[in-house]
Amino acid sequence: MHKLGSLSIPTTDMIPEKFVRFLEQRANVAFAGTRDHEHVPHGHRVCGWRVDADQRTLTALIPEPFTPHLVESLEDNGQFALTVEQFPSHETYQFKGRYLRHRPVQHDDVEVVNRVRERFVKSIRPIFTDVPEPALKAFTPGPSLAVEFEVLEIYLQTPGPGAGARVIPSAET
Amino acid sequence: MRVALPAEIRPVLDNGIPAVMVTCSGNGVPNTTILSQVYYVDETHVALSFQFFSKTIRNVRENPRAYVFVTDVAGQVAWILQLEFQHSETEGPIFDAMDMQIEAIASATGMSGIFKLRAADIYRVLLVERLPYSESS
Repeated sequence: MHKLGSLSIPTTDMIPEKFVRFLEQRANVAFAGTRDHEHVPHGHRVCGWRVDADQRTLTALIPEPFTPHLVESLEDNGQFALTVEQFPSHETYQFKGRYLRHRPVQHDDVEVVNRVRERFVKSIRPIFTDVPEPALKAFTPGPSLAVEFEVLEIYLQTPGPGAGARVIPSAET
Repeated sequence: MRVALPAEIRPVLDNGIPAVMVTCSGNGVPNTTILSQVYYVDETHVALSFQFFSKTIRNVRENPRAYVFVTDVAGQVAWILQLEFQHSETEGPIFDAMDMQIEAIASATGMSGIFKLRAADIYRVLLVERLPYSESS
């Protein structure tokens, strides 16, 4: 069991299969949030992501220009919020959790980013018909750092009146 | 120090590509969300739409600092804004202009009737940073 405030929640399947499929097959844009010791929020582009086999751990792949304040903030307080979207449908979820560790990127991380980039270009091509393909590909930069975090909560973030509703753990848990 | 928004950011704010906003609650939990609109008020202020009673709205009333990311896919430039919430407006020229833009965005994205502007939240610009894609590839 895992303690979340006064709640005790099961430790299995924190990221259910339907979210794994969303992350690995459809999502094509992501952004992460941290905050420093003075509670100033900082943003970090995320160019790729992967779900660990335990279905509790997510790895966010961060491009170098978006690493300022990242490790310092994570080592200060551990708070990490990752919002992942499928563009252009805007289906969006936010994964909030606790920083575990960071590491340099590996070859298979680059392959993950390549797949995200391909999905993004395929999705956006019908909208930006006059933009050259290299420009569309440049939207998804290469990774520089991998941040692993334990997912504790998942929120619906698709724009609309339901945005912000917590879906994992459910309200009944 | 006075920070001014450059003229070249204005078309990026109007390009219809959703922005990203990061806020932090009073007890230190960050929140990352998609924004449909960043409205240029003047050289030192922007307005963000308040459509739903969201975590973001609660957060900036507890802790006024905010981070906003806007991007220009065609121009291959991203912009980062560090903001501070100042006040909220429910009527007047800024509210009316944002209301019209929200309705246009909603219509274009099939969300008419879902998007309804409740207030225009006014933020002071603390920092603006231009980031060409070439530096992030």
